[in-house]
This record gives sequence, structure tokens and C-alpha cells, in this order.
Amino acid sequence: MTEARMLSGRRKKQFWGSLHLVLILAAIFVMLIPIIWIAMAAFKTHVDVYQLKLQFTPTLENFKIVFDAPYFLGHKLMNSTIVAFVTVLFAIPIATCAAYSFSRFRLRGETMMLVMILATQFVPAVVIVLPFFVMFRDLGILDTRLGLILVNLAIVMPFAIWMIKGFIDGIPIDTEEAALVDGSTRIQVIRNIVLPMAAPGLVTAGIFCFIIAWNEFLFALILTSKDAVTLPIGLALFKAEEGDLWNLLAAAGIIIMVPMFVLALIIQKHFVQGMTMGAVR
Amino acid sequence: MAGISLKNITKSWGAFVGVDNQSLEVHDKEFLVLLGPSGCGKTTTMRMIAGLEDPTSGEILIGERIVNDDLPKDRDIAMVFQNYGLYPHMTVFDNIAYPLKVRGTPKSEIAPRVNKAAEQVELTEFLHRKPKALSGGQRQRVALARAIVRTPQVFLMDEPLSNLDAKLRVTMRAELKHLSHQMQITTVYVTHDQIEAMTLADRIAVMKSGRIQQLGTPEEIYNDPANLFVASFIGSPAMNLIHGTVKDGQFITAGGRDVMKAGKGNRDNIVLGVRPEDLSIVDAGTGDFDVPVYAFENTGESVLVTGQFGKQRITAKGGRHVRKEIDEVVGIKADPDHIYMFDAKGGGRLDL
Repeated sequence: MTEARMLSGRRKKQFWGSLHLVLILAAIFVMLIPIIWIAMAAFKTHVDVYQLKLQFTPTLENFKIVFDAPYFLGHKLMNSTIVAFVTVLFAIPIATCAAYSFSRFRLRGETMMLVMILATQFVPAVVIVLPFFVMFRDLGILDTRLGLILVNLAIVMPFAIWMIKGFIDGIPIDTEEAALVDGSTRIQVIRNIVLPMAAPGLVTAGIFCFIIAWNEFLFALILTSKDAVTLPIGLALFKAEEGDLWNLLAAAGIIIMVPMFVLALIIQKHFVQGMTMGAVR
Repeated sequence: MAGISLKNITKSWGAFVGVDNQSLEVHDKEFLVLLGPSGCGKTTTMRMIAGLEDPTSGEILIGERIVNDDLPKDRDIAMVFQNYGLYPHMTVFDNIAYPLKVRGTPKSEIAPRVNKAAEQVELTEFLHRKPKALSGGQRQRVALARAIVRTPQVFLMDEPLSNLDAKLRVTMRAELKHLSHQMQITTVYVTHDQIEAMTLADRIAVMKSGRIQQLGTPEEIYNDPANLFVASFIGSPAMNLIHGTVKDGQFITAGGRDVMKAGKGNRDNIVLGVRPEDLSIVDAGTGDFDVPVYAFENTGESVLVTGQFGKQRITAKGGRHVRKEIDEVVGIKADPDHIYMFDAKGGGRLDL
């Protein structure tokens, strides 16, 4: 009797266990389908793309084509890389200074400032893209990498400040005070103690910003036309008179995605931590 | 070598007063303990000496020099923090060497001095490790070594033992005492642990609500408490505090149930204080008064007998072979030389 009940209990557990698994697999399937489709399409010929067959002769032709005339994806790749890289290069040091001050000093109107920094994130990009366009036209930096870097800086900075502040908040104040008493100036404390301890956080924030800048679409779409076009905008090139060139689009998509996957892999641990930290604080 | 003097120090945050117009002299080479419950201002006082907090008003002198406007690094102090404040990204060696490096000590001098400090706290074999690979006690030793690697004018210690487990705390306490005897450096030590205070201190300043309640040697603090707070804070088990009145040289407990010979004159609102170890347990009828046993506790090295009369209780410490049953009536006899009278309202000591 009791054995039978135990057995049915185990069955129940097994049933829920397998249902769990099925649901997870279904979710993974739904999420991965577009990526798998792109990954396959990138290696298919133009003819094969329209067929959903899994067996085909893979070709690297698509990747060759996108880098050649008239698409010159290499130029866009260069633009994207430079814009994202320089954005991070400036964003992280500046954000670190701001984050340190917010974290360690009591400033007048501190909460207000922090909220305002966050509030800039709530403004829909479409609303401010026009003023940017007009301003940049007057300044003569439309369709330049400089313009894009400035815009991207404005986009990533709030993220970076909040994230890095979270990491610096996590450094025990005792450690800094110990260094002050041990004979350091404030600058030495930051250089010798805070920066090394916050390094994983800074790297995470940097990669975060890189991803945001790399994927940025709307501003790049409006503010560039030829010279400073980035990869996501470059995708639009593959709309030809004969229809969408899916295989080329997929190849370009892979080129956009792969660096992101690599970065995500590097920081997967910190990534989650960084996201939750930003969320809670 | 130098003493420290605080002159009319006040620290307030808005309306909240952390330290209220206090003055304190720490003599050269003295080990002074700031003792009090959390929030009493002891840590704030120490942090003001360290320069980590600016006093709202008043002067701080280290030696002959006013240090109010000096940065912590210019005060020639070393500090040990409650949470150790180690540098987790550096090895033990680099942790200990940091105060020397940052002050520009010649490279050739650093290694021997770090080794000597490490030796003093028995850390030699761990020098290459990172703090996270050390136990709590070892971490605390690193913090100590970092403090003693330079010979500062003043040591500041902020509850350095409170994060250690009970057994280790006792060991480290003895080591600390030995070390401070060797070093002969003026030390200010903050703790809420009265036993640490009693064992380590040359003098203790008992603090409460931002004010020093009493300043004296451990003996004075224990045997001659200045007020009700000091009396109740020091001692474990705590001093018995019995409310009542004094009438014609008799102390009558509140409720009028028990009477003992104590005090003089007539006065209401009295608290009589007597330590459990100054009470002895005797046969019913032969002591100052009789009480039924409320609880009997055997701690191994002694026993505690708690008696109840009316709504008040009294605990007496007895020899380790005493055995009593609950509800058994026992006599309690007080040592007349160690009975303290306090004003129940103001808490001040009364000379009755």
C-alpha cells in the first residue's frame, strides 16, 4: 500500500520532470529557429535559400560577395568596429569617475542626478533623433564616425554609470579607508585599490556598452548615409530589385552576430550579475 | 610616540548628535579602550582621530600638533578595521608592504620589514597567498601586520576581534595584549565587548549616547561605577539592579517585601546595585533575606542562582558545587562593601 503510493509519487515526479524538459526544449526551439535559419541561409546558394531543406552543399560564396563591390561590407564592419570601440574607450573612464563620485561622496542633489541620468533612458530614441540630425547637420558632422560616437556615448553613458556604480558600491569602504590611513591620497586609492578591484565590473560594463553601440540601429539609420554607415544599416543594402537577397543578408547577419556571441561567452558570468545589479540598485 | 587629546569634540549630522562635546586625553604609550553599546559614538570618535570623519567642532591633537585639517595619511597612524579592510587583489606580502610602498620606503628596506612584521603575527608561511585563501583569524593577523609594519605614533583598532569566533577571539586577545606590550605605542581600541575592554585596557572610557560616562582603569570601572549605565553595562552576568526605597538605614524593595541593611537616611526611587559575585548563597534565614529559587544554572566553573521576590529577580553566583532546586527557599547575603546606590531617575551614583 505504502509502496504503491510511493511508486505513484515517483511517477508523478517523473511526469512533471519530463513535462518540464519538453517545455524547455520547446522554448529553446522557438528562440533558436531564426538563428538556425540564418546560420544555414548564410551558407546556402541563392536558389537553396527558398527551400527549407536541411541538406545542401554549403558555400562560402555569400561571404565573398558581401565584402565585394557594390556592397563593401568591410567598410561598414570597420565603421561599426571603430564607433563601438571608441565609444567604449571614452565611456568607461568617464563613467567610472562619475560612478565613483556617486558611490563614495555625498553630493548635493545626488539622488536627483542619478534619477535624471536614468530618465534619459526612458526617452524614446525616435523623439530625439531629429534634433540630433539638425544639430549634426549644422555642425557638419552628419554621416561621420565622430557624430555616431557622440550619439553612442550619450546612449551608453547612463548604463555604464549605473552599472559601474553597482560594482563600486560592492567594494567595502573599509578597504578604501584602510588605504587612506596607510598613506594613500584619494587618487592613489582609486588607482591602487578601486580600479583593480572593480576591474571585472569595468570589463563587463565595457562589453555591455560595446554591444549596445554595435547593435545601435535607429540613430545610425538617420544620421549616416554613405561614409559612416554601420553594419546594421548595411543590411538594407541587400534589398535588390529582384527581391531580398536572403543569403547575403544572412551572411551579413552572421558577421554582426558572431562578435556578440564571442563577447557574451566571455562575460556570461558577469553579464547576469551586471544586469541584476543594475536592476536592483 | 605621542599622546592624543580631544578638546570639546562634537560630531553631528543634521539634528543627530553622534559625539556630544567630549574631551579626552590619551596618554603616551597608553592602551585606551572606548567601550559602549552600538551607536554610542565610540567608532565615530575613533574615526575622527583617524581623519576619516571631520569633527563638527573641537580640536584633535596628536602629540603637540593639531591634526583637524590633516589628511589621514599625514597623521602618522595605523588602523585595524572590523572587516579587516584588506586588499583582496594583493598577496599577503603586498598587503603588509602597502603602507611602506605608498610612503616611498626604499625597496631594499621593504622586504625585511614585511618579514619581521609577518613573523610577529606568525604569518611567514602565508606571505604569497591572497586574503581570500586565509581564515578569519589569519586575515585579522594580516591587518595587524599591516598596522605594525611601520612604527606609527598611534594605533587605532575598530572592533578588530568581533568578526572572529569565540575561541579565536580569546587567543587573539592575548596575542594582541602581548603585541601591544612589545610595541609600546599609544593605542585607541574600540569595542562593545566588556571582557576585551577589561583585559586589554590601561584605561577604559565607557560611552553612551555620544558622551563619556566614565573614564578610568578597568578596576575603577568595575568596582566604582559612576552611574547606573556603567554599572549595568560592565560585568557578566550583569549587576543586579533592584528598585526600592531607603528608610532609616534600611533598603526596602519595591513592593515592600524584602528589607536589608543598606544606605542611610530616607530616600525614594533608589536602585540598589550588587554584583552576582558579591552575593553569597546561604541557608534560609541566615542571610540578608530569603528568596525562592527561580532558576538554577550551572556554568561548570560556578553556578548562578536566580531568586524571585515580587516582580524583581536577583542573581547570585555560587561555588561550583552548590546545588539548589527550583522553588527551594535560599538565603542571600550581600558583601556590604560592594553595594552601590543609584538614583533611579537620573541614574547617578548616590553616596548613601
